[in-house]
Amino acid sequence: MRPASIEEAQQAVAQLAGARKRLLIVGGGTQLGLGGPAQFDERLETAGLNRIVEYAPSDQVVTVEAGVTLAALQKELAGNGQRLSLDPPLPERATLGGIIAANSFGPLRTRFGSVRDLIIGVSIVRADGARAKGGGKVVKTVAGFDLPKLMCGSLGTLGLIVTATFRVHPIPVARATLIAHGVRTADVFPLVRAIRTAQLEPAAMLATRRTHGSWDVTVRFEGFEAGVTQQREKLRALAPVEPAEWPQEAPSGALRLKVAALPTELEKVEAALPFAQSLSWLPTLGIGFAGAGAGALNAADTAGALEAARRSIQVVVESAPFPLDPWGPPTAALRLHKSVKARFDPDNLLAPGRFVGGI
Amino acid sequence: MDPEIIARFAAAVGEKNCIREPEQLRTYESDGLASFRATPGIVVLPASTEEVSACVKIAREAGMPIVARGAGTGLSGGALPVAGCLLMGMARMRRVLQVDLDNAFMRVQPGVINLDVSKQIGPQGWYYAPDPSSQSVCTIGGNVAENSGGAHCLKYGFTVNHVLGVRIVLGDGAVIDLGGPVPDQPGYDLTGVVVGSEGMLGIVTEVVLRVLRKPEATRTFFATFPSTTEAGQAVSAIISSGIVPAAIEMMDRLAIVAAKAATGVDWPDVGAALLMDVDGPLAECEHTSASAIELARQCGSLEVRVPRDAAERELMWKGRKSAFAAVGRIARNYIVQDGVIPRSAIARVLEEIAQLTSRAGLRVANVFHAGDGNLHPLVLFDARVPGEEKLAEELAGQILRTCLRYGGSITGEHGVGADKAQYMPEMFSENDLETMGRLRCAFDPEARFNPGKMFPTPRLCGDKELSRT
Repeated sequence: MRPASIEEAQQAVAQLAGARKRLLIVGGGTQLGLGGPAQFDERLETAGLNRIVEYAPSDQVVTVEAGVTLAALQKELAGNGQRLSLDPPLPERATLGGIIAANSFGPLRTRFGSVRDLIIGVSIVRADGARAKGGGKVVKTVAGFDLPKLMCGSLGTLGLIVTATFRVHPIPVARATLIAHGVRTADVFPLVRAIRTAQLEPAAMLATRRTHGSWDVTVRFEGFEAGVTQQREKLRALAPVEPAEWPQEAPSGALRLKVAALPTELEKVEAALPFAQSLSWLPTLGIGFAGAGAGALNAADTAGALEAARRSIQVVVESAPFPLDPWGPPTAALRLHKSVKARFDPDNLLAPGRFVGGI
Repeated sequence: MDPEIIARFAAAVGEKNCIREPEQLRTYESDGLASFRATPGIVVLPASTEEVSACVKIAREAGMPIVARGAGTGLSGGALPVAGCLLMGMARMRRVLQVDLDNAFMRVQPGVINLDVSKQIGPQGWYYAPDPSSQSVCTIGGNVAENSGGAHCLKYGFTVNHVLGVRIVLGDGAVIDLGGPVPDQPGYDLTGVVVGSEGMLGIVTEVVLRVLRKPEATRTFFATFPSTTEAGQAVSAIISSGIVPAAIEMMDRLAIVAAKAATGVDWPDVGAALLMDVDGPLAECEHTSASAIELARQCGSLEVRVPRDAAERELMWKGRKSAFAAVGRIARNYIVQDGVIPRSAIARVLEEIAQLTSRAGLRVANVFHAGDGNLHPLVLFDARVPGEEKLAEELAGQILRTCLRYGGSITGEHGVGADKAQYMPEMFSENDLETMGRLRCAFDPEARFNPGKMFPTPRLCGDKELSRT
């Protein structure tokens, strides 16, 4: 089903709840591989919830319906010289509701954080069909529990996100992108350290592996001309870099993993993923993506390799050609995650089986 | 209280860390919001997660509510005891457990003072960004409970944006780690839920903080204006130009008078002033501060002062940060209000506040975070004058309702606590509050932690609620 309005969506969820039908919520469909296989009776697509509800450029705040795509929002904001400082893959398809639910991000996370750092309000339809909201429409509010953050990364298991409010930023006047080629794995973090020591403030920094043990490190500065020029020249003095375009590489490969460790642990990450054909890494944050083509893999070996990798680093399966443990072994916090789920969706109707620990 | 229970607390934390004397209990009767008072049954000062857990279990068996307390600087009554409760003071848990600047985090106990975090890593050129005005005394644990803000949150975000993980003791004494220095731990963002939960979900005993490399340069200026209208226009002009100030603070005439009286800053007698910081790479700072000063002039600034050196800059900020206390110089009593409005509505809302104030026959000093529209009207009164305190409370309430009418919030950084629970239904529907209550029930089904805060009516977590649709 594809409701054309929030009211229709709310009615649909309420009816499904009454009939005890299980529901899979779908935005742009770019992250459907994330998590375990959900059991569901109905799919609810949010594409019809595609209105920009309220945009106050002078307050740098925008409220959108969940089905608005990131590209459509950015186009609207650009008309006022503003942007949402969030750059996950596939912006033409990815919806804001989906970006929140899947906690999608791109290299701008280096400076601006992830969606949890930019969302200021949310309204949802609960599993029982009731509407509820949290946060607000101003950039700063601490009234009540933080439902907007609870929704970030919740993967459609706690409620249907129907609108969200974000803080937006001015589009920078100037930018410069520089690349260092052939950086050895052990030298990626020292480059971060050198950039910090020099008090440079990249808006984005991305290491992309070219061959085993060798990386391209791309750095982007943003701001006004004077600051960008100064930082570009300082970086040139620090490392052999040249001007570049920002790498526009959408994730590919039948197996896609999101990996995380401490920023200083890139060598450990590379060593833990011998099967990875592609590897990218946000070196200031300690988070990245690995990929491998189906031809290189078989199910049993991959499951074993994944288990081995999880002994040293955090790995989440974003997409796989065969069933794999999507989240890895749960922590003691699983008890709380289950408890939250039980309070928000007591009848277990929202994408059961998809989330951590079988939630 | 049952002597056997007292003995068990004493065994858990040591005799000298159990406070029972009525004289000593008085210290804990209120937090920074002194108009609310209640006496705890006992105060314990645990030194470790294990001791916290042991005390929680004892309180549970004794059926006692539990209230945690940091430095007691909170302004919403968040650390107000429940009569007869177990009050857990976190003052002894003030160790820094781990400093890892390469990985940009620190692990600290909740009793560590906010400013001490930055002091510890300052020599290496690092700092902790959230800077509530009380930062020289308030604790990280209190900051986590309230999701504390501060002047520099405009660019850098609030406590929640700088907490990577917490260790929390639940109502049954279980110890759970949420989040941590490695990003995006699978599961719900419960760290984000715990920060700002006002001590109602559990007791936080360790916090992983994100720390930042200091910016290369900071440029500060102080600009005066005939009135808050021109100052508000300057704020809008600066932010619309694409500048993201590190902080931009506004004071009105009365707040300036108070700051002068308290700190000796030589500010002129004007209708309004802005104090602004930009920080970042040197050339960027030079450019943005010059542009911002030019915009302030275009909007009618009377005078722009740039501090000659770090000492003068510090004095300017001291003038601003001591503004709440400074108001004590010009009024016998005052209420600190905390509300948020859209930034573009500042001039209109201040005008409405002025009208409400003159109708009430009182005075209001305004000092606030203009960049994010977070107002702090200080309602002045004299408690010796019969009826004036009530008038002041009514005025403070009218100001909050004005914020809500403009699409704002009843609190930007001080929290709901005991003070503003009554206003929650004006900002949120019954469904909204019931949904938030579900989070409370998920963590603390017995409502043991800090009951009576945030929600206007007690919420139960029975099976009936669980199955209600």
